[in-house]
Amino acid sequence: MIMKRFLPFLVAMLLALSAYAQDDPGADDAMALSDVVASDDAAAASKDRFRELDKDVQSLKKEVLDLNRDLFLLEEELLFPANSQVAFFISMDVGEYFELDSVSLKINGKEVANYLYTSREVDALLRGGVHRMHMANLKTGDHELVAVFTGKGPHSRDYRRGATLEFTKGIGAKYMELEITDRVKKQQPEFEIKEWE
Amino acid sequence: MIRTPSIVLSALALLFAAASAAANEREPVVVQDAQYGEVLFHFYQEDYFPAIVKTLAAKDRSQLDHHIDDAELLLGGMFLSYGHHLEAAQIFERLLADNVDQDIRDRTWFFLAKIWHQRGYLAQSQDALGRIDGELPKNIEREAQMLRAQLLIDQGDFDAAVALLSEWKGRTEWASYARFNLGVALVRSGRTDEARRILEELGDMDPFNEELTSLRDKANLALGYALLQDGDPQAAKLPLQRVRLEGPFSNKALLGVGWADAEQESYGRALVPWMELRGRDLLDPAVQESMLAIPYALAKLDSISQAADHYLNAVEAFYEEATRIDRTITHIESGQFFDAFVSDDPLDSTGWYWRLQELPEGPEARYLYHLLSTHEFQEGLKNYRDLSYLYRNLDAWEDNVNVYANMLETRRLAFEERLPRTEASLARADIDSLVNRKLEFDSLLNNIEESNDWLALATRPEFEMWGEIASFEQSPALAANIPEAEEVRDKIALLKGVLQWQLEKEFKDRLWRIRRDLRETGEALVETQRARRKVDESIREQPLEFQAFGDRVYGLEPRVRGMKMRIADAMAEQRAFLQSIAVGELQAQKERLDIYTVQARFALAAIYDRAATVGENQP
Repeated sequence: MIMKRFLPFLVAMLLALSAYAQDDPGADDAMALSDVVASDDAAAASKDRFRELDKDVQSLKKEVLDLNRDLFLLEEELLFPANSQVAFFISMDVGEYFELDSVSLKINGKEVANYLYTSREVDALLRGGVHRMHMANLKTGDHELVAVFTGKGPHSRDYRRGATLEFTKGIGAKYMELEITDRVKKQQPEFEIKEWE
Repeated sequence: MIRTPSIVLSALALLFAAASAAANEREPVVVQDAQYGEVLFHFYQEDYFPAIVKTLAAKDRSQLDHHIDDAELLLGGMFLSYGHHLEAAQIFERLLADNVDQDIRDRTWFFLAKIWHQRGYLAQSQDALGRIDGELPKNIEREAQMLRAQLLIDQGDFDAAVALLSEWKGRTEWASYARFNLGVALVRSGRTDEARRILEELGDMDPFNEELTSLRDKANLALGYALLQDGDPQAAKLPLQRVRLEGPFSNKALLGVGWADAEQESYGRALVPWMELRGRDLLDPAVQESMLAIPYALAKLDSISQAADHYLNAVEAFYEEATRIDRTITHIESGQFFDAFVSDDPLDSTGWYWRLQELPEGPEARYLYHLLSTHEFQEGLKNYRDLSYLYRNLDAWEDNVNVYANMLETRRLAFEERLPRTEASLARADIDSLVNRKLEFDSLLNNIEESNDWLALATRPEFEMWGEIASFEQSPALAANIPEAEEVRDKIALLKGVLQWQLEKEFKDRLWRIRRDLRETGEALVETQRARRKVDESIREQPLEFQAFGDRVYGLEPRVRGMKMRIADAMAEQRAFLQSIAVGELQAQKERLDIYTVQARFALAAIYDRAATVGENQP
């Protein structure tokens, strides 16, 4: 008698053991349990509620992203007006002969930025990412930029090299690229500063 | 400018690992827009939120002109990775048709279908699957086929699911899962015989890994219980006995084996597997049920006193368990439980890939562990966590916006303070008269040149010397007709001649130098006039600029505050939803315990009645 009373529970539970995902072998057991304990109506209502909330979250995400965009634009325009803005980008091509550790920047003899790279960031650079290392406001006219790159060179030796560029800041934003490339013939890295074209 | 692998593939590579290899084989593209490279820098670190924001900002400023299509696709991929699937789909719908290879397109639709299925958007999932029109790579095709079948099963269209899965070819893990699902679908549609053949085959397979072993257990269990339900306990026993003794399904299998014996009235045999369940985790309904099954069998075997003891133990154990569940429900309803999920979260790794593996420590973890593997709970948690991220993000912005408002105010005050001083100095600097003087110089120089007035360009000492010589010339003493005077006259004439020759010789050079200086002065004056105009313009425009920035800053402030409130509300709703799932689950566990308790008490009462009746009938 007891069996008749309890068996349907377990049968229903087991029939719900649809094995869709391979990720978690125990997962469906638990799904089954929740299927058993909630009535079909309740489960459907719960799914509907989830979707309803999910749609709200989706729309909030969109609005917050748009708001972030507006805030980001405001911040940049306020802190670095286009007329005086200069941005310094670090990029890397190949990177076989150099393992980047850090970069420091001096503008007109004054140190303005020092950046220590994580391996994740170096990986992102190697894959084609470009890091905006520093933003500054500079007057129109001539300026001098000195960048010092440190890291491991060929044969894992400590490596420290500088690169210098004199540039003229005109009216309007200016982008400078500090590029690390491999000079295959010499099996050495090369560091170059240029204006972003 | 640097080279990077084809971004279309890179964008989607994160979505399906298989594409990564392909991404490396494709022709690299050159990053031409710095901002695009910057987006990639964040993207490759899987910091999707800042990457998306920077893409949106760069798009707004038209800074991605060289990569506009790639950037848009990348945005779609990032939206997807960030869990913003509806927005991602809109981009893919717009761009995928023409811009990418069919294999990438098909994979993307498959991926979207999978996400939508997990989030319960079944119609969208079906639609996305329908958009796949080429051949998918084999491993993905198998999964897509599974998804198609699952969608049919979800919709209750078992016959179609059966038809689809019957065509299944191949002997992979997916095939085994598909067969299992087919078996379940067949049982559900009442076609037990067909189901039996499939589940039998699965239950008897030789598995080569843990997943398949687990699936074999599951198939045996499903088959065993289907046969029990069908009234064939003898046949049910074999598959149930094939389930491993230790594993996620062992408790249910042991219980089932016992029921198969009990159904055949072999109560002594039934007790063997049921007794094995004693001491196992009481959370498992199979263990709970065994606590009633044992005394049931004992009673059938006329061990009434032992049966009564077991029922009493069961009632006590159920009571303790129910009390613990009550305490857990109270804790969950207090809201603290879900806050622990997000309290230590870093401000990254939001989105679709995040999967909670561990529950925060505490007594409730024991009851809710299996909820983690359900889609709704996981996806709900992801949403809750994303909302918490958004809230903290806006919290940080709110502080910044206040700083910007102060900054703007300080700039405005400084401007107003400097303005009168600047205006006074500007008034003192009479640029127009300087320009007039320059023009007068020009004219004077022209006259000098035209009249070849070399003396006009003499230096002061030369001019003084010339004057001195002239004055000597006029001296009356030199007019005397004596040899000494004549000698001096000759000397003066010579000096004068030499000086004149010198001045004439240098005239052109001096003229050129003066003209050059005048030209430079003119240029400087033009620059000064331009600077003056800029200063005037600045004085005119600065207040307008302050006004425009002020409008933006003060306009954004309430937007940030309002959005924070809406997010807080959404978090509360999401938390309530998660709480309702968790509490619902616990309530159900408790209800089951209550039913079992009633059953136990009822059986106990029947035993006492029987004992009392026997006692009364005895002389």
